[in-house]
Amino acid sequence: MLNAIIPLLLDSFASAALIFFAAVGLTLVFSVLRVLNVAHGSLYSIGGYVAASACLFIASRQLNPYLSFVALILSAIFVAAILGPLIERSLIRWTYGKSEAVQILVTFGLFLILEDLQRIVFGVQSFYEDAPMQLLGTTTIGGVVYLNYQILLIGLAVLVVIGLRLLIRRTRLGRLITAVVADREMAQSIGIDTNRIFVLAFSLGVFLAALGGALATPTSGVAPGLGADTMVLAFAVAAIGGLGQIEGAAVASLIVGLARVLAIYLAPALDAVAPYAAMLFVLLIWPNGLFGSVAARRI
Amino acid sequence: MKLKNSLSAVLLTIGLVAAAPVAAQEKPSALGLGIFTFTSGPAAAYGMPGKNAADLIIEDINARGGIADVPISVTYVDEAQGAQGVIAEYRRLAGDAKNQVMVAALSSANCLALAPIAEQLEIPTVGWNCDTHQLLSEGKSKYMFRPNGNTVPEFVAYAIYLLERKPDIKTVAIINPDYAFGHDAATIFKAALKALKPDVEVVVELYPKLGSPNFQTEISRLATAHPDVVFSNLWGADLENFVRQAAPRGLFSSSQVVLALGETVLQRVPLPEGVIVGVLGDGWWMSPDARANAETARFAEAYKTRFGEYPVFPSIKMANALIYVKAAYEAAMQKNGGKWPARAEIAGAMKGSRVITLTGTTQTRADNDGLVDQIVGITVKSPAQPFPVIGEMVRYKGDSLMPRAGQDPIAWISTLTPSFAKALPKPGSYK
Repeated sequence: MLNAIIPLLLDSFASAALIFFAAVGLTLVFSVLRVLNVAHGSLYSIGGYVAASACLFIASRQLNPYLSFVALILSAIFVAAILGPLIERSLIRWTYGKSEAVQILVTFGLFLILEDLQRIVFGVQSFYEDAPMQLLGTTTIGGVVYLNYQILLIGLAVLVVIGLRLLIRRTRLGRLITAVVADREMAQSIGIDTNRIFVLAFSLGVFLAALGGALATPTSGVAPGLGADTMVLAFAVAAIGGLGQIEGAAVASLIVGLARVLAIYLAPALDAVAPYAAMLFVLLIWPNGLFGSVAARRI
Repeated sequence: MKLKNSLSAVLLTIGLVAAAPVAAQEKPSALGLGIFTFTSGPAAAYGMPGKNAADLIIEDINARGGIADVPISVTYVDEAQGAQGVIAEYRRLAGDAKNQVMVAALSSANCLALAPIAEQLEIPTVGWNCDTHQLLSEGKSKYMFRPNGNTVPEFVAYAIYLLERKPDIKTVAIINPDYAFGHDAATIFKAALKALKPDVEVVVELYPKLGSPNFQTEISRLATAHPDVVFSNLWGADLENFVRQAAPRGLFSSSQVVLALGETVLQRVPLPEGVIVGVLGDGWWMSPDARANAETARFAEAYKTRFGEYPVFPSIKMANALIYVKAAYEAAMQKNGGKWPARAEIAGAMKGSRVITLTGTTQTRADNDGLVDQIVGITVKSPAQPFPVIGEMVRYKGDSLMPRAGQDPIAWISTLTPSFAKALPKPGSYK
């Protein structure tokens, strides 16, 4: 019995970790900027492309293969540093205070542009570089061989949840963000540079999206179309957890991961619908998600 | 005066109408071909080799003067846009009289969507890769052709080969893509196993969405079932991802893995030895028949020079489909006294044709389905190549694994017996 449950749980955690990385940036951006960024999935896949390119470069130059781990993180920072301020200042800022329809249209337009840009820059073929996955080897748990890289991702997801929690609760930047989220006008009136907070928060969201794409690439590669698939799943997670709730995103990722893994183990025909069935179930009982409504938004 | 003008208009109209069939048979400045394949997205890993082959073959045909001195002009359509877009593009191309033939499509779903339109618009359409046996099962098609064969012989061949190599297997797990091709293949493979070895139990069936990047949970599920055999017809980037994720997790050592489209990734991912792979037909560029054909060797080397790797079987399928189209033009012109053929004449020439291809022959049956041989083998190391190749090969005759035209394929498979399989060539017999 235990031999059956352990793989199921481990797969759920591993699946949840990947889903969490795809969704947490979306929820963070919504919590601070109150913008539902439809282009989030594209930023995820751009992170994947840049990370794969960096790892391929390391492999082609026969550099120390462990540098590929550094490359995964640096790729996400690189994408966030370039695209975060650029997108926020040039597009997102014009949508503040506008209706949700305008925000969604603008970010959807951005999504289409970014998807085409990826095709132009990276081509239409899949990118693979699995050095980080291969370097870490495997572990047998419950009679099933797992990649240590999968286990590493679970640990990293937990670290990101804790890190974001500490950032928001224990740092000056976090307190400034909390103030802006609580009352934007009041924050401005006491001298907080809200424009700077918006740029930083959006860039942090881009970083998390790009990090998700970068970390997923060693096991699953990156190809055109990844952004759209990621976006749909990220929305489901955000809806279950409550839009703007980081802990909610973590719990929702676990629910979605567990739902999907249970479907694969017990009813494979329901694999594709399981995450959305879970979303439907949660929203029927808690219409504003598990961790509360948009109006009572917390981060 | 008014009457005279009206008469002139009527006569002019009659003249134009009467001249139309003649005009349709005058040689055009270029022969338009619409070629449908995946040039983007995860399926491009499979679709681009087809496009690459088309580029090479068409260049070669044009360099030799085209078809009856008419050069081929090709328009590629990306199937990644989805069925609606594919149908719209097909209609747009068909509306242009210079496009006489469509080579469409790669995806079974797209072939099923296009087949009724081909009949409606009366456009000869060559399904260059789509395999689903449902495509021509009604046997009424006049314009839809499939020279490269269908799923029935392809997957019956795998069941027979598997049981010849592993006669004592008890349990099988299946992981196929979640659409017509994946489900059809599973149905055929299971039916063949049930007929040939009824005590084999299918312990897991998984159908991940086409284009899934991550198979880790599916791999865990397969591993927990401890099957003797894992069968899959995943393809394109899905197959590459599956192999990359499953190999380090030991799936290839704990079970006998059958990858129906495994040949397509031999040059791209480190596939272990002993995996049962094939080419869904006879399109293996290193087969004894292919090696004996100077044209095939020339094509393979030109492909390697241009694209950096040897052709995979989707490349061969595309090349063979274009050879089939060229042969139909030549046969139609031979029949009509050398005039440029109309669309109906080209379709007529395809019906019942027997064409020598790069890797064997294709015989078009009365239902427009092609009979091609089936090559299956296992991955082995080769001193000549840096990647594994297919060894221990068998080549089953195309007609030996096909039901008669119009016969229910699953009912036919259920009539197979172990003695039927025993009478077929053995693994390793094709050298």
